[in-house]
Amino acid sequence: MSRAIANGEHECGPDEHCERAQDTTPFGSNEIRLTPRQWLLALSTLVVLAHVLPSTWRWIEPFDPGPDYRIPYSLGEDYWLYDRWCRQAADTDATLLVGDSVVWGHYVTNRQTLSHYLSQLSGRPFANLGVDGIHPAAMVGLIEHYARALKGRRVLLHCNLLWMSSARHDLQQDEESQFNHPRLVPQFFPRIPCYRESLANKLSNVVERNVAVFGWANHVRAAYFGNSDLGSWTLEHPYDSPFRALTLRLPSPDGPPPEHAKPWTQRGIEMFSPVWVELDTSLQWRCFRRTVEILRARGNRIFVLIGPFNEHMLQDQSRLAYQQRKAEVAAWLARAGVAYLVAPVLPSELYADASHPLADGYAMLAAELLKSPAFTLVEDLGS
Amino acid sequence: MLYHTWTFGLFFALGYSVFLLIRNTRLRVPWLLVLSYVFYAFACPWYLVLLLCATTVDYLAVLGMARTGWKRSFLAAAIVLNLGLLAFFKYAHFFSDILLPVGLSFFIFQSMTYSIDFYRGQVAEEPSFLRYAAFVSLFPQLLAGPIERARNILPQLRQPARITWQDAADGLSLFVVGLFKKVALADYLALYVNKVYDAPDAQNASALVVASAVFAWQIYFDFSGYTDMARGVARALGIRLMLNFDNPYLATGLGDFWRRWHISLSTWFRDYLYIPLGGNRHGELRTYVNMALTMVVSGLWHGATWTFGLWGALHALYRVFTRRLESSPFYTQRVPKFVKRLWVFALVTVAWIFFRAGSFGDACIIVRRIFSSGDWGDPGCPVLVLVLVGSVWLYQIVYQSRWEGLLRLAPVRLALVVLMLLYLVLMRPTETRQFIYFQF
Repeated sequence: MSRAIANGEHECGPDEHCERAQDTTPFGSNEIRLTPRQWLLALSTLVVLAHVLPSTWRWIEPFDPGPDYRIPYSLGEDYWLYDRWCRQAADTDATLLVGDSVVWGHYVTNRQTLSHYLSQLSGRPFANLGVDGIHPAAMVGLIEHYARALKGRRVLLHCNLLWMSSARHDLQQDEESQFNHPRLVPQFFPRIPCYRESLANKLSNVVERNVAVFGWANHVRAAYFGNSDLGSWTLEHPYDSPFRALTLRLPSPDGPPPEHAKPWTQRGIEMFSPVWVELDTSLQWRCFRRTVEILRARGNRIFVLIGPFNEHMLQDQSRLAYQQRKAEVAAWLARAGVAYLVAPVLPSELYADASHPLADGYAMLAAELLKSPAFTLVEDLGS
Repeated sequence: MLYHTWTFGLFFALGYSVFLLIRNTRLRVPWLLVLSYVFYAFACPWYLVLLLCATTVDYLAVLGMARTGWKRSFLAAAIVLNLGLLAFFKYAHFFSDILLPVGLSFFIFQSMTYSIDFYRGQVAEEPSFLRYAAFVSLFPQLLAGPIERARNILPQLRQPARITWQDAADGLSLFVVGLFKKVALADYLALYVNKVYDAPDAQNASALVVASAVFAWQIYFDFSGYTDMARGVARALGIRLMLNFDNPYLATGLGDFWRRWHISLSTWFRDYLYIPLGGNRHGELRTYVNMALTMVVSGLWHGATWTFGLWGALHALYRVFTRRLESSPFYTQRVPKFVKRLWVFALVTVAWIFFRAGSFGDACIIVRRIFSSGDWGDPGCPVLVLVLVGSVWLYQIVYQSRWEGLLRLAPVRLALVVLMLLYLVLMRPTETRQFIYFQF
C-alpha cells in the first residue's frame, strides 16, 4: 500500500487533529482509533496474553490427579483439561487407557474402572484417559488436537463396536441428528451426513481446536460457570461477582456408585437386534483406523482391546453379524501389525447394558488382559 | 452472512486479498459487485432478483429522465415501483408466508436517492450500469445501512482507490469497536431484556423499567455495532460511509436525538419526505403536521404493526410538545445538561417499550405495570450489565467534554483495544445472534 501524499496533503493519523482535503466524513463517534504501528503493538500484546494466560492458569490452578483419576463427568467436553491430564499422565510411567465410557467407567466409581483393576492386579500404573460418550469420529479429533502429549507412550486403545451397530450410531443417516462431542468430529472431510452445523460454527470449531486460548476459555467456562457463557451465568447470579466463582477447585472424579449399577436383566433392558454397518462403509471404523495411524505416527506402542460387548443381549442373527465384524477388526489389526485382544464375553450378570461391564466385570477383564501374552509383551517392551 | 462470524472472516480474507491485487485496475468495481452479490446470495440466492430489480428501476428511470423530457413521469414511476415492491414485502406476511428479504428496506431507499437526486439536479447520470449496481449492492452496508446517497458513493467508485495503511488501521479500529458492541454488549444485554420482555406480566415494575432502559442500550449497541463494522469494512476498501450514530444518549433534546440516531434514515426522511411536504416553511401548524407524518412513516418503515406505528407516533408527539421547549431560554440556559440528557433518555426509553414489546397487548401491560402496579421489587438485573452500560455512557460523556484529551492518549486507546479484544476472545457467547435491524 502507498501513502497518500499528493498536492501537499499529509497522512492524518489518530494522534492529529487535521482533516484530509475533500474528506469530511467523521471517523467515528469515539477516540478508539489506532495507527498501524499501534495496531501491531495491540495485536502482539494480545498474542502474548493469549499464550501466557493458559500457561499461567496451569501454574495457579491446582491439578493433582493421583491414581484412579478420570475426567469428571461434568467436564467431559473440557478438552483443554483433557490435554492437561494427558500431559501429566504421560509424564509418569503409566500405560494410558484411551476410549469411551467403557474405559471411563459409566456405571462404576473411579475405583472400579478397568484402569484401577489393572493397576491393582499388576502393581504397575495405568491411567484412565477415557471420555464418556466419545465415539471414534470424535476420538480422532481428541487424539489429534488434545492428546499430543501422549507421544511415544504405551497406549491401550479401546474399540467399541457399538458405534457401528446402526446407521445412526455410525453417523450415516441423512436426517440431521444430535450426537456427542460434535466439536471434535471432522468438520468438513470426511462429510458426516447427519452433521448439519452451520458453516460459521464449523469454522469456529476448527479455530478453537487450533488456538489454545479458546480451549482454555472453554475450560474456565465449563469448570467454574456450569458450562454456560459469562452472560448466561450472570443472569442466574445477578449480584455475584464472576471472580468469586473462580474457586480454582476442580470437580472431583469420585462419587457415589451410579444408581443403575446393576445387571441389565434387572433394569428392564430387552434383547435387541442391531443392523450392523459393514466395516467397508463404516464412518466410525474409518475414524478408528485414522486414530491408530495417528498414534503410530507419534511413536506410540499401541494395544487394542476389542469389546467386551454384551453378546447375551443380541438376537442370534445379529450376534453372528457382530462376531463377523469382530473378526474383521481383528484381521485388520493383525495385518497392520497392531497388538490386540478380543475380549472374552463376560458372564451376563456382569454387564449393565450392551457394552458396559459392572465392577466385577472390569476386574475379570483386567485379569484376562494381564494373562494375554500380546499385552504383556507391549507392556514389557514399552517400559 | 453475519459480520461477527468466521464465515464472514473467511469471505472477506479471500475477497479482500483479490481486491488489493486489482484495486488500481478496471476490475475493482466489477470485483466489488461480484463480492456484494455473493454476499447477498448467502442469505438466499433468489433475493438477487429483487436486488437486480431495485437497481434496474432507478437506473432506467434516470436514463429515461436524461433522454426524454418526461422527468416527472419517470421519477413517479420509479417511486411507485420501488415503494410498491417495499410495501408488498412489508405487508405480505399478513396474508401469506412471504418473508421480508433482508436489506430490502435499506437498498431500495438507497437506490431511490439516485433517481430523486438526479431529478433535483444534485447528481450526474451514471453511465456505467456496473458501477451503479455496485453502489446499490455495496456489501458492507447492503443489509442494514447506513443508507448512503448516490452523490456520496458514486464519485468514490469513479475515482481510483486510495487505500493507505492508516485506512486499513482505521477499518480495523472501527470493526473491532463494532464487534465489541455487538458481541460483548448487545448480545449480552439481550439475555436480560428477552427474559423480562418474553413474560412481561410475570415481572415487577422495577424489572420492566430496568429492562426497558437496558433495551435502549441494547438496540444502540446492536445497530451502531453493525454500522461500525460496515464502515470499518468499507474503509478498508477505500470507501467512506457516513456516520450513522453519534452518541445518541448524549442528546440534550429530542431534535438533537434525531440528529444522532440512525442519521442516514432520519436525514433520508428529512430530505425526501419532510422537506417536500413543506418542512417548516408553511407556518407552525403545518410544520407540526409534517413532522408528525414523517415520524409516523418512519415508524411504519420499521414494520407494519401497531407497535412500530405507535413508536413513531409517540416520537411525533414528543417533537410537537418539546420543539418549543427545547428552543426556550429556560431550557437552553437554565436546565443542566445532565438533566436534559436524562429527560431525553427517559422519553426515548418509554417509546422503545412499544418498539420492543412482542405485541400491542404486551406494551400495554408493561406501561400499566410500570406506572400503576406499585410493585417495585428486585429487578434481578445482573450488576455486570449496569457496569458495562455505565462505563460506556461515562466514556461518551467524557468524549464530549473538555476532558476528551484523556481519551486520545495512546496508552488509553491501546489499553481499551487490548481489553476489548481479550474480552471478545475469552467471553465469546455460545450462541450467535442476528442483528436486530436485519428484520427491517
